[in-house]
Amino acid sequence: MIKMFDSTSQMMRQVIYALILGIGATYFFLGWGIIMQIILAMIVAIVVESVFLKIRKLPIKHAISDGSAALTGILLAISIPSIAPWWIVVIGVSFAIIFGKQLYGGLGSNPFNPAMLGYAFLLISYPLQMSTWAIEFVNFGQAFDVIFNINHNPMIDALSGATRLDDVKNQLALGKIMSELNAYSVAQSWVNIGFLLGGLYLLARRVIFWQIPTAFLSGIILTAFLLSMVDSENYLPVQNHLMLGGTMLGVFFIATDPVSASTTPKGRLIYGFLIGILIVVIRTFGGYPDGIAFAILLVNITVPLIDYYTQPKVFGK
Amino acid sequence: MVNYTFKGGIHINSPHLAEKLVVKQVPPPEQAVLLLQQKVGGEATPCVQIGDKVLTGQVIAKTLGRYSANIHASISGVVSAIEKRLIPHPSGINGICIVIDSDGKDKWIEIGKYDQDFKNYTPDEVIQKIHEAGVIGMGGAGFPTYTKISNVQDVNTLIVNATECEPGIMCDDSLMQEYSSDIIRGTEVLMYACGSYNSIIAIEDDKQEAYQSLLMSNHNDNISIVQIPVKYTSGAEKILIKILLGIEIPSGEFASDHGVLCQNVATVKAIYDAVIYNKPLVSRIVTVTGSAVKEPRNYEVRLGTSFASVVMQSKPNSNPHNIRIGGMMMGVDVPSVQYPICKITNCIFVNNIKPKSSVQSCIRCGQCNKVCPVGLLPQQLFWYAKSENIDRAMDYNLKDCFECRCCDVVCPSHIPLVKYFSFAKALHSKQTIERQKTDMARERFEFKEYRIERNKTERTDMMAKKKEELKNKMAEDKAQKDKILQAIVRVERSKKG
Ligand code: SF4
Ligand code: SF4
Repeated sequence: MIKMFDSTSQMMRQVIYALILGIGATYFFLGWGIIMQIILAMIVAIVVESVFLKIRKLPIKHAISDGSAALTGILLAISIPSIAPWWIVVIGVSFAIIFGKQLYGGLGSNPFNPAMLGYAFLLISYPLQMSTWAIEFVNFGQAFDVIFNINHNPMIDALSGATRLDDVKNQLALGKIMSELNAYSVAQSWVNIGFLLGGLYLLARRVIFWQIPTAFLSGIILTAFLLSMVDSENYLPVQNHLMLGGTMLGVFFIATDPVSASTTPKGRLIYGFLIGILIVVIRTFGGYPDGIAFAILLVNITVPLIDYYTQPKVFGK
Repeated sequence: MVNYTFKGGIHINSPHLAEKLVVKQVPPPEQAVLLLQQKVGGEATPCVQIGDKVLTGQVIAKTLGRYSANIHASISGVVSAIEKRLIPHPSGINGICIVIDSDGKDKWIEIGKYDQDFKNYTPDEVIQKIHEAGVIGMGGAGFPTYTKISNVQDVNTLIVNATECEPGIMCDDSLMQEYSSDIIRGTEVLMYACGSYNSIIAIEDDKQEAYQSLLMSNHNDNISIVQIPVKYTSGAEKILIKILLGIEIPSGEFASDHGVLCQNVATVKAIYDAVIYNKPLVSRIVTVTGSAVKEPRNYEVRLGTSFASVVMQSKPNSNPHNIRIGGMMMGVDVPSVQYPICKITNCIFVNNIKPKSSVQSCIRCGQCNKVCPVGLLPQQLFWYAKSENIDRAMDYNLKDCFECRCCDVVCPSHIPLVKYFSFAKALHSKQTIERQKTDMARERFEFKEYRIERNKTERTDMMAKKKEELKNKMAEDKAQKDKILQAIVRVERSKKG
């Protein structure tokens, strides 16, 4: 093995490039919202980070250039509904940077994934805005109107609704059974495929290690499979778990955030697998539309323990 | 081919090879400065005085005990000083040196009778000859060879380490090309001395010429010449043993505990010279390389020649330099070129000073633990070393780190990990000593308390006893008095009566 990366910013840049396909797919199906959210989120992330670095009297340029703040912003922007009002992203990103990262001492010292901490905060505080998704292509003007609340565009109500995951869950709760439901979404499938391909790129470039994605996917597949073995009419089938919601984004881009993940090879397997199980459990039995943020945050807590007990074998011992 | 491999390690392209592998002979210097202390062990005791005339090859300082080595004059001339001089050490330490001013003749001392058939000596005599010639580990370890050989009983495998895995160093490569038959013969000598039937000469597979020359010279079936894949740290003793024999030797144990003896190839050549020709160790091959020299090269130099005079021959540019001795990876930086070449000086790197890349935070990316040949988690060690939580770092096996710097090199955040590790290790030994001290102080204190307590109880016991005695005595006295009184009363009564 040779030196893979000259700098951490180079790694972060690779991650950002790898996101392009998934973002592209989202744009293709759901329109301009995501682009605006991402730009806004990046600006907020960098501004908030700079202010905090200034307060902590640390060199600003040096820390910003590692690209981690921008990446946190982008990941959060992708996770929230693309037509959420502007203040959602501002609050979420600020929370993520301040409480998820800077208060712990900055990059590398944060036990939780900052983007997911921001996301969880938003979901708890603003459940309505956080579960209203675009369901059709939103053009530039519409997106601008709805995000920046310039004038309420009645068209928009027709364009938005719950996600397919949410929908299926509500229908099941109403007593419907799987065979009566449509648990498939063209848009979400393509978005997931986009992130999957980006993730494979990261694997090929060795920016991320194989253990977390593999274990994560196995966790989902195994748990979802067991549940549908128990009752295939009441639980979402495996393939829909994989292709709905933020699954592939979570698998390749969020759970693999090295700072908050387990850092030992064996530990990464356990870490990924636990998240996979938890996601299906939360999606199935929990009250929220998607389980990724909570699953990741929960498993983040166990990382020091996992790391300690999964130390690799030392030479000669 | 080899059967085993090791986890981790890195491939590094040697950036500045010594291009001309033909060894350039450097004439004996005007003045030789010979260091009495080697990397390990104590100082040898001088056996010449200022003003003495010495001949090349003459013993000028004798070893004391098993952990130092004889020092021989590397030129002929007059001893002009025995004094402390700067020695090649990162922190500018002084060491006692014998300085010889050349008489320009390089006249050798009469070398006693020697027998080219080493089997006419007993193995012990062979080891003694190695000892007298002042041979030490020339790969950089500096351990006296005589001690290393006599430390192992029942050697089952002798390994000649010709890997030279540190990028940039080429001195062993040219040594093997020029003296291949001496090396094979030296290996036979060593096998005889340590009683091993087998030996393996391990060489990296990018040194084809050297490999071919060794193959051509080898007619001994018990010596196998093995090529191993190029990967840094393959030349570290324990790693090499893993590659060749599949044995992992844990920290705290030595190769000798497993019947393995490892010797560097340059040492083997020195052993050959010592045993076959009675020739003491007075010169060695040194690589001069680095980004700041125009002609990287190997030189055969007398010990005690100054770095500067050798470096000059490689035409360094006039920019400020960074001088590193030993390997690019595990070598040490020294402040200047004002040092003498010693027995372990295998390579001098002269590099242009690079702007330091800025250090960023550890993002736990795991690149470092992927390359650690020992299987440590440098990111965790770093975390605990930084926060001075040394106990936790020890839990993560800090002491197994042999500071190979693989992790340093791959870290995308440019964290000087090994600096933290050596700091943490130093802190740990300090803490251990302090802990022992406080333990001792506590024990002393507790003993004192115990003593006071014991004295106290003894005293009260004694008092109680005395009181008791007094009471008894008083009671007795009273009884006595009573008796007397009764007697008197009786007498009175009888008188009346
Ligand atoms: S390579 Fe550097 S940044 Fe990556 S985990 Fe190791 S110490 Fe941290
Ligand atoms: S310096 Fe220590 S921790 Fe780093 S790779 Fe080498 S042995 Fe492992």
